[in-house]
Amino acid sequence: MDFISLNFLHPAIWIKIITLIAIVFYVIFTFIVFTQVRVMSEIFSISDSKTILRIISIAHVVLAVSLFVIAIVIL
Amino acid sequence: MTDIFIAPKNRGEDRSPVLSYSESARALSVFCKNPKGVSFQTQKHNELIILFLRAHLITNVSWLVLSLILITLPIIALIFLPKLGINFSASSQTIRFTGVYIFFYCLIVFSYVFINFLHWFYNIFLVTTERIVDVDYSDIVMHNIASTNLNHIEDVNYTQSGFIPTLFNYGNLFVQTAGNERNFEALSISKPREATHIIGNLIGKTK
Repeated sequence: MDFISLNFLHPAIWIKIITLIAIVFYVIFTFIVFTQVRVMSEIFSISDSKTILRIISIAHVVLAVSLFVIAIVIL
Repeated sequence: MTDIFIAPKNRGEDRSPVLSYSESARALSVFCKNPKGVSFQTQKHNELIILFLRAHLITNVSWLVLSLILITLPIIALIFLPKLGINFSASSQTIRFTGVYIFFYCLIVFSYVFINFLHWFYNIFLVTTERIVDVDYSDIVMHNIASTNLNHIEDVNYTQSGFIPTLFNYGNLFVQTAGNERNFEALSISKPREATHIIGNLIGKTK
């Protein structure tokens, strides 16, 4: 998409920008969750929960990044 | 001269009756005596975990119910909103926006479930042969780990009030320590009477 051809007065553009900003904050949030899970699993571990929780938190980050990419491509 | 008192030969055997057997702790265990498979970062080589405590599973019902409502909400919206004249498939642009927002919404609901689970999962209370360890995971960006030696414990008590805590046998455990050290609390733990009894026995032996 040509940057000059973007009509910034169109509400859809602003909705897209706001949505992308919200998703960026969400991606940052998922990274914080991932870091916390990593730290907490080092502090305390019970049976094989360490691996499962890490996989879930990584999947969470991957899904959030995917959402950001999808939003950029299709919105 | 006759002996007035003869000390038992093997005092070590009755030192801790709770050490006589062990349970394998599962990921969702809430009360475990001498758990196998549980460890923490600052655990010493010869330090054994005697009691593992966590909030009762029933305390998760509120956020689980709310999560179920949140999961069904977009399905209800997609069924009923077109009947009110709001059409999500009016144009290709609305379809794309709806798709992205539903995906975003699902992730937010997932985050809500995951964070509440982590909050329950990492709020633990451990009693070892040397100390008590309280791990508080109160917020996504805050956690607090506190421990105190068993010989610093002054008193241990519990409260169990209300219909549901009595029915499911859970309550709050309070450990008071000497001097300026902080007091410890384990909230909504399963079998608080038994936990109080075990800690009471331990501090009775160490004092």
